[in-house]
Amino acid sequence: MNEKVAMDKLKGLGKDIHDEVVKGEPPKFETVLRSRGNIKYDEGVGCLRLGNKKETRNFLTVSQSRTFMQTVAIANKTKRFLKEDLHTSIRGLYYQLKFSLGENLDESLFEEQGESNALIEDLEVALGIKREDLHLTTDRKGVVAGPMKIRDKFGGEENTIDLTKQGRSGWMVPSDVDNGMEFMDVDAKYILVVEKDALWQRLNEDKFWKKEKCIIITPKGQASRGTRRLIRKLADQDLPVYVFTDCDAWGWYIYWTIKTGSMNLAYLGRDFSIPESKFLGVTMSDIEKYSFLKKLTIKAKDIDVKRASEMMGYPWINKHKEWVAELKKVLKTKQKIEQDALQGQKLTFVGEYIKEKIKNEEWLP
Amino acid sequence: MASQETFKEHSVAEFFKKNKQMLGFSGKIRSLTTIVHEYVTNSFDACEEAGILPEIEMEMKETGKDRYLLKVKDNGPGIPKKHLGKALGMMLAGTKFHRYIQQRGQQGIGAAGCTMYSLLTTGKPVYAESGNGKEIIKCNISVDFKTNKPVLTNIIEEPSDFRGLVVEAEFGDVKFEKSNYGVIEYLRRSALVNPHAKIRFTDPSGEAIVFPRSTEEIPPKPVEVQPHPLGITAHDLLDLSKAESEYSRLSSFLQARFSRVSLAKVNELKDMLPEINFNKNPKNLSWEECEMLVQKFKDIKWISPSADGIIPIGKDLIEKSFVNVLNPEIVVVSERKPKIYKGGIPFVVEAGIAYGGGIASAGKKGEVMRFANRAPLLFDAGGCAITETVKSVDWKRYNLKNFDEEPIVVLVNISSVHIPYVTAGKQAIAGIEEVSDEIKNAVMEASRKVQVYISGKRKKKEAETKRKVIRRYVNQLSSDLAELAETDDEEKLKEKLSEMVENRYT
Repeated sequence: MNEKVAMDKLKGLGKDIHDEVVKGEPPKFETVLRSRGNIKYDEGVGCLRLGNKKETRNFLTVSQSRTFMQTVAIANKTKRFLKEDLHTSIRGLYYQLKFSLGENLDESLFEEQGESNALIEDLEVALGIKREDLHLTTDRKGVVAGPMKIRDKFGGEENTIDLTKQGRSGWMVPSDVDNGMEFMDVDAKYILVVEKDALWQRLNEDKFWKKEKCIIITPKGQASRGTRRLIRKLADQDLPVYVFTDCDAWGWYIYWTIKTGSMNLAYLGRDFSIPESKFLGVTMSDIEKYSFLKKLTIKAKDIDVKRASEMMGYPWINKHKEWVAELKKVLKTKQKIEQDALQGQKLTFVGEYIKEKIKNEEWLP
Repeated sequence: MASQETFKEHSVAEFFKKNKQMLGFSGKIRSLTTIVHEYVTNSFDACEEAGILPEIEMEMKETGKDRYLLKVKDNGPGIPKKHLGKALGMMLAGTKFHRYIQQRGQQGIGAAGCTMYSLLTTGKPVYAESGNGKEIIKCNISVDFKTNKPVLTNIIEEPSDFRGLVVEAEFGDVKFEKSNYGVIEYLRRSALVNPHAKIRFTDPSGEAIVFPRSTEEIPPKPVEVQPHPLGITAHDLLDLSKAESEYSRLSSFLQARFSRVSLAKVNELKDMLPEINFNKNPKNLSWEECEMLVQKFKDIKWISPSADGIIPIGKDLIEKSFVNVLNPEIVVVSERKPKIYKGGIPFVVEAGIAYGGGIASAGKKGEVMRFANRAPLLFDAGGCAITETVKSVDWKRYNLKNFDEEPIVVLVNISSVHIPYVTAGKQAIAGIEEVSDEIKNAVMEASRKVQVYISGKRKKKEAETKRKVIRRYVNQLSSDLAELAETDDEEKLKEKLSEMVENRYT
């Protein structure tokens, strides 16, 4: 289990530093540089990840002294969480570590939460583990329904959850889908990721997942860490992943984050990206194909245009001529269209649209 | 000849009456400081020549709007009756004018200028008492502007054991103020470079301030030196030749009255100036001949003038005074050899830097104290070579980020028989290249020592700060580390870490 690995790695970190100190050597540990210059696109895997530039954190360097102490404190505290089998948010961790460094010192171990975020990332990178493995939870976001079951060991209990029996609300994706959780009886042909909750509710009401034998997931906007892990794990069961978003730079960016990962979380690499995913729509070309959509476009905002031209600059996007063509259309027409617009003529058209796209293999890479 | 002289003197008094700003009488505060300056420097000079430790008492009373009565009393040798009028009532009286001697007051217009100012602004003469320890003379002194002759009235002469000079004068169009340009600041700076003097000043509110004596050492008597050919003008040469009574031939006059003029040099001059008869009586030299001679002086290779006549304050005394007056954290004073400007005038620059300590607590920042022959220069800072030079130093190179914000006082004193003042107001040093360069070198010499001190101190302080910062984290780290590594080594880790921090930052 990941937790066991995390536990060992935390202890190992402690042991290494401890031994250095006993030998009279300056306490230090190595981590990988997370700055822009060390973010690479891995052509082979198809995801963003960190390069090889390393950085050393040294306790005896004044500028790193405090953060070094804080990182070790986080390591020790999360090791206790693992031991006690308790979870908390990074805010909870912050409160656990917000105490005075000494009676006569006007300084706390942590003064504000902002201090801890970067250090948690340091620890993740240095040890090659995820914060979820350290029992640090993030806000839940994302809903699933479809033919599969989940065995959830939590709070000393074990439950089996059937994702075909979640009614109108679906199953909410937890922050960690790796520890104490097993996916069973996955009986789907593919996975459909739908940007907006409203469209997910449409498909759920239409029993789309039942008719199509698929799993429908909405990240409700940008995908959370948990949702990305969930899609990754399902994709690992050889299920194709299709993504369906608004036709604008924002929606497309949601697709690309799912596919290649984001710059901010580049350190997570392949575990949080799904390079094999495909983009179903909505595309600019759809406007020409489905004539009723022509009247339903909206004017693109400045930020959409800006984001579109940024995306043109990313090598992992501009290597696909189909995408360059789409982005150029945005820059030229300055228009966009929401996925909700597909309900313009007929509410249930959404399902037909998706089926037709998949059947005709009409997707973008 | 007589009429010419009368005309000359007439113009001198009239000229300065019309141009009193040239003597420092411009602005109410400045005029008052100028007056105090003239009396104080006269007393210092007189005491120095007589080998007396000066003790000056001054009292100022407000008598009306912008009107003050000033009483100055010193313990000097006093002024003999025959000179008293000239000293206090005749412009350019010549008691000092043609003596090549290093003194604070150089042009002999000072105290008489004050008398003039008193007459101009209040119509009242100056009252003086002068005693030599046996007899005293008391009188009123005024100036006859038309003839530039002193006028003494109400003369009383009687036996007395008083020794010294008392001057009482009332001035209008002046103002007492406790500012950087005021009387008290002037006296404070005077005291700084004249630690052998004791000055007591009672201000118009009756409050007395005493600048005590901090050394019993009387500065050496200034030596009168002969002028060097490169240091004089045609006008000087004409005056000297007219006054000559001992030598009747130009060639012997030149050899006898000027330094470094030998027979060989006179022969060189003869070759260059066949139109001049070197056997003529120097009294008969014409203005044109003087001009030609001074012109040719510049073409001859002279031995540099002797710098014997120059008396700097001295490193020890500057240091001592700085400590007494400012109580700074560090004092550095440069020691420089005499240099020469305009090819013939020797001068010595002393630069002292005081930093931190009492300067910081007094809130002083980036102060430049200018002195010429130990007399403070308070005015015209902008046009003074000292200010310009000090500001032109790249202080960042000396670990002083922003000169104007640092707790630093830079003292520069120029000593010379002829200080190159910008004007007769004697408040600013002219930007002559040799002088500016030497000021810069002196200031930089002192700055380097300050830099070494500051950077050493800064490094030590930085190391201490770093040590303190890291030490705060040792306990927490040790406890977390011991637990994380699953050992009981907390105490051992603490010890080891503390040791490492100490070793790294000492």
